[in-house]
Amino acid sequence: MKSKLLILLMMPLMACVLFACANTNSGARIHPEAVTGTPNCTECHTDAYAAMNHQAVDFFKKHSIFATNARRSCNSCHAESFCSDCHAHKEELKPSVKYSEAVERTMPHRGDYMSQHRIDGKMNPASCAKCHGRQNNERCVTCHK
Amino acid sequence: MISHQEESSGRGKSGLLRTAWVVLAASSVMLAQPVLAADYTITGSSNTYLRMTRTISKDDLYPLYEYLRFSVSTAEKDGSSVSLHLGAWGRLDLVDKSSDHYTDGDLQYGFLSYQGAKNNLVVNVGRQFVTEGVASERIDGLYARSDFAAGFTGAAFVGQPVVTDPSYKGGDYIYGGRVAQGKTGLYTIGVSALRNESDVARDREEEGIDVWLHPVKQVDLTGRSSYNSITSGWMEHAYTLSVAPIDAVTLSADFSRINYSDYFYNVTTTAFALKNNGGVLDPNEQLTTYGASAAWTPKKDLTVAAEYKKYDYDIQGSGDYVGGKVAWTAPGALSLGGSAHRMIGDSERLRYYDYRLYALKKVGHAELGLDFYNVIFDRPIDGVKSSFALTGIAGYEVTEKLKVGGDVEYSQSPDFDREWRALVKVAYAFDMKTGEKGGKSEK
Repeated sequence: MKSKLLILLMMPLMACVLFACANTNSGARIHPEAVTGTPNCTECHTDAYAAMNHQAVDFFKKHSIFATNARRSCNSCHAESFCSDCHAHKEELKPSVKYSEAVERTMPHRGDYMSQHRIDGKMNPASCAKCHGRQNNERCVTCHK
Repeated sequence: MISHQEESSGRGKSGLLRTAWVVLAASSVMLAQPVLAADYTITGSSNTYLRMTRTISKDDLYPLYEYLRFSVSTAEKDGSSVSLHLGAWGRLDLVDKSSDHYTDGDLQYGFLSYQGAKNNLVVNVGRQFVTEGVASERIDGLYARSDFAAGFTGAAFVGQPVVTDPSYKGGDYIYGGRVAQGKTGLYTIGVSALRNESDVARDREEEGIDVWLHPVKQVDLTGRSSYNSITSGWMEHAYTLSVAPIDAVTLSADFSRINYSDYFYNVTTTAFALKNNGGVLDPNEQLTTYGASAAWTPKKDLTVAAEYKKYDYDIQGSGDYVGGKVAWTAPGALSLGGSAHRMIGDSERLRYYDYRLYALKKVGHAELGLDFYNVIFDRPIDGVKSSFALTGIAGYEVTEKLKVGGDVEYSQSPDFDREWRALVKVAYAFDMKTGEKGGKSEK
């Protein structure tokens, strides 16, 4: 019991020491240049940020890892609403309906998705469950009771 | 269906109220800040949508939606900042008022954030979206992350899970965190954990490893493996390797493996439930996918790509998805693109072609576009072999802040025969800033 208490007391202390020792400068809170459209980050960046090239054919697959590792970088261009447009816990309008004019963007469920969802759901239900498995599934429950 | 179901609408409402109180109390302090701070930025938007659509039982619906987003942030001279972010929507059906659901709405996010000038310190409180390793969750609670010495970063969160399905209790508490070690621009390796529980049940217990390797400019590897401690099995492995041998060419390969019994544990709808839990998915099924793509950018704004993906099921059989796409985007002027794919699966449902063509032209303050999406099934579904949606798009920028637009869609599918839908939207952006430069928008 005493050892557990000691560990609990030591952990915040250790965190404070490690925090003080890190002394890194925080990343830019707002991207220094206004960016429009779907940016090709390699035009300016030659470091790891170049990997976040939004025009890359595999950017959509990798964006969750970037959001984990560099959320602050995402936030330097995107407001919180950008995430919630797709990653909602309760949403009735598809992103492709809200932003039909953004034809170049990768958006889920374009066109008539009522029939297509049966195919995609059979092909890879995990891809559906990532967003609709535990939340944002009120429409699913309408039929899948 | 699911062992942890309980009536929880009351809990959801009380949680929402608590969040609203915290955010409002904090914002009252926060809103005084811009006046005092050296630099402040206010961004916000109002997006109004009127949708004209029809249910599968041919009832007309005219839902009117309003999305309001608002952020205010102060920048202190030491580089730190405090900000408040609010986003919510409401809906009123203008025609069908026959059910209790003719109005609805939701607080999507509402949190107060502190960002430190050093160590990428972030502390958020309120309703927020947390992305830390295995966690990709919306919570009502507290989140903190920081850099530490020797390339370590740490993040932790605790709160109530935000779930909306009225028949599901998503657990009373959710908490977790991630510790990562890395060298900026070279590699990051993280371990993360998530617990979601109530007094009576272990809803979720997940651990994960994630990597981001960027050893040289031309090579980038990202991926994650997640483990379910309740079922004692790996839920998913998913990794993507990108190689750019020359600036104009990107090659990509990806691999994923999903174990259904571990991945679909304790989901909230029968659509994703396992057979032994009242659903349709076979718990013994395992899906392995392999993919490869090659993209060529012969000139700026033009991309030509070919892609292939193999779906390999232990029980169901397999499927191959192959195709390509072309996209040309001149920002602010013209977007043209198209794609074509073929799915060849062992089961009849997994045999089809899909095509997409789109064009959007901007002329002065106006924009006009067309978007066509078509799926041709090898075997007709409910007598329909070709399912398509053709959308005409129009928009006009009245002022820099006010934009009006809309679209009309004509579609045919197994569920809808020659169906028309329309949408009118009005978007207004309000920004005010002093001192700070750069770009950030609510879109």
